[in-house]
Amino acid sequence: MTTATAPAKRSAATPDLSRAALPLRRRAIDLTARLLMVLAVLAAGVPLLLVIYHVLAKGVGIVDLDFLTADIPVRARVAGPGMGPAVVGTLIITGAAALLSIPLGVLGAVYLNEYGKQSLLARVIRTMADVMTGVPSVVMGLFILVVWVLAVGEQTGFAAALALACLMLPVIIRSSEEMLRLVPDELRQASAALGARRWRTTVSVVLPAAISGITSGAMLAIARAAGETAPIVVVAGTVTWTNWNLFEGNNTTLTAQIFKNAVEPFEAAHGRAWGAALTLMMIVLVFTILARFIAGRFAIKNR
Amino acid sequence: MNQKVLSRRGVAGVALAAITAIALAACGSGQPSTTPQGSAATGIEGASGELKGSGASFPNAFYQEIVAELQGKAKNLKVTYNSVGSSTGKKEFAQGLVDFAGSDSLVKDSDGIAKDSFYYLPTVAAPITVSYNLQGVDKLQLSAATVAKIFQRDIKTWNDPAIAADNPGVTLPATAITVAHRTDGSGTTANFTKYLTVAAKDTWKLGTGDTVEWSADTQGGAKNTGVAQIVTQVNGAIGYVDLSDATTLKLKFAAIKNKDGKFVLPTLEGTTAGLNGAKVNDDLSYDPLDASGADAYPITAPTFLLVKRKYDDPKKAELVKAFVKYMLTDGQALAKEVHFAPLPDSLKQKALAQLDKVS
Repeated sequence: MTTATAPAKRSAATPDLSRAALPLRRRAIDLTARLLMVLAVLAAGVPLLLVIYHVLAKGVGIVDLDFLTADIPVRARVAGPGMGPAVVGTLIITGAAALLSIPLGVLGAVYLNEYGKQSLLARVIRTMADVMTGVPSVVMGLFILVVWVLAVGEQTGFAAALALACLMLPVIIRSSEEMLRLVPDELRQASAALGARRWRTTVSVVLPAAISGITSGAMLAIARAAGETAPIVVVAGTVTWTNWNLFEGNNTTLTAQIFKNAVEPFEAAHGRAWGAALTLMMIVLVFTILARFIAGRFAIKNR
Repeated sequence: MNQKVLSRRGVAGVALAAITAIALAACGSGQPSTTPQGSAATGIEGASGELKGSGASFPNAFYQEIVAELQGKAKNLKVTYNSVGSSTGKKEFAQGLVDFAGSDSLVKDSDGIAKDSFYYLPTVAAPITVSYNLQGVDKLQLSAATVAKIFQRDIKTWNDPAIAADNPGVTLPATAITVAHRTDGSGTTANFTKYLTVAAKDTWKLGTGDTVEWSADTQGGAKNTGVAQIVTQVNGAIGYVDLSDATTLKLKFAAIKNKDGKFVLPTLEGTTAGLNGAKVNDDLSYDPLDASGADAYPITAPTFLLVKRKYDDPKKAELVKAFVKYMLTDGQALAKEVHFAPLPDSLKQKALAQLDKVS
């Protein structure tokens, strides 16, 4: 930028690379391209901001401590708070799904990138993970319904966690593998040169170097899982009271309650749906910040 | 370096502890077990345990009203009703995931429920309104044949001679008719079209079912509320909406010509009168559509609970009996609040007798 203000001082030896020295046509093209890019960013941002604005505007007046803890009213037409059971359900179901899928997914990615590389098995797993990413969530719900719910004979929160874990797993495997691939081989070689075994290198060097990217991938997967409705409705049933037990009894989540309340004709139910939407956004936000913080502590600094 | 490793381990330890705590909390049983405890036979106040039902969304408002009422009366009884639609409800009942199911339609072979394994228990009924929005017209009368012609687009303007013939003395504008229908598979569509196949069998050509092939120049809405929204927004629109939603959303309804040649508005009294005129089968399935009787409203949708004839757990059977008995006796008074028609006494007695056979 400073060179642009001082075109007179240029010497013959150093060509003027500032924008002012460009021909008019190229400057015009440059400006147009910049404008288009800014417009594209704005266009992408507008829906996001509008969504946030709407959820905030409609939900803020509804969410309070009572809303977050009280039972869900059975009569949809009755005004008043209550999403406590759904908050608990969202936390334990998504939490259990994360516990199931993140260790498995990261270990799978370590195998693919550090051990399997281009072997036949690794390539098959990679392809299957890509295929699984495209499976619609309701299909995963039906799959869990057939193999778990019907076998156990009850719709439970754990069944929902299983379905969400199946949805999260391929996302975590693929994103973690990409992140591990970005770790420079020099780090691995340096570690090996110091006499560290391969597992030691993976645990102490490769994973910490990639941890922030892996966390981002895991958080995206968790956010996607927390926002799923279809599998929950299929395999978790519904409750209006808080059920802390994952393995027994029906459960419910915020997304399922948003869906249920939004289709009711009553204003009170619509209010609860907006409140639940705001609560869900806040939960995802809090966990993203937490995960960033923890990942920051793990990461190798000053790379 | 050493310090950094230490702090990293520290965070790992905290994270692990937190995860363990969450896992423990999730495993610990914070709820009473699902098996009923104590004696449930003493009536609804003493009942305790859990009951799960799912199915039809049409009577959902009434069932939730009953469940909410019971929360105050029987503190240890926990009932959930999940309104997932008749067909899903029947499937979950067949798979043993729920203790009872709600259904607007009868059980078919393809539902997977064995013929002699369940009872039908009629609970309430509700009229399906023909709601319209036409500026300047506050009273509209329609015969079945005219309704059929409107909904299959044989009639395209409101001042058509067929509509005028049903409404002597009313000045009808030349506004174009907009037909609104359900896009989702629906018991309301099934009952509405079934009525037209019965009452206007020479005119109605689209058949009957949870969905039918509507003409391309009609408008679709999701659920009763979606249809109601089109009717509210478009001048000249007409659609079929259940009474509960139509009343909540303040729509205008047409009076429909019944079998006795009288034009009757959709009211709860007219619906109960329609149930009185309906022929009830031995298994208590019945069809109140186009029933006879001077006051009977002809487009009436029945709804049933499906309960098992024999429950594996006798306590579960007692709970189901106590719950449904409450719904059929004291609970009937709640029906009107949410715009459902209570059963006439004769049908109620038959349902109670059928319920007694559950074991």
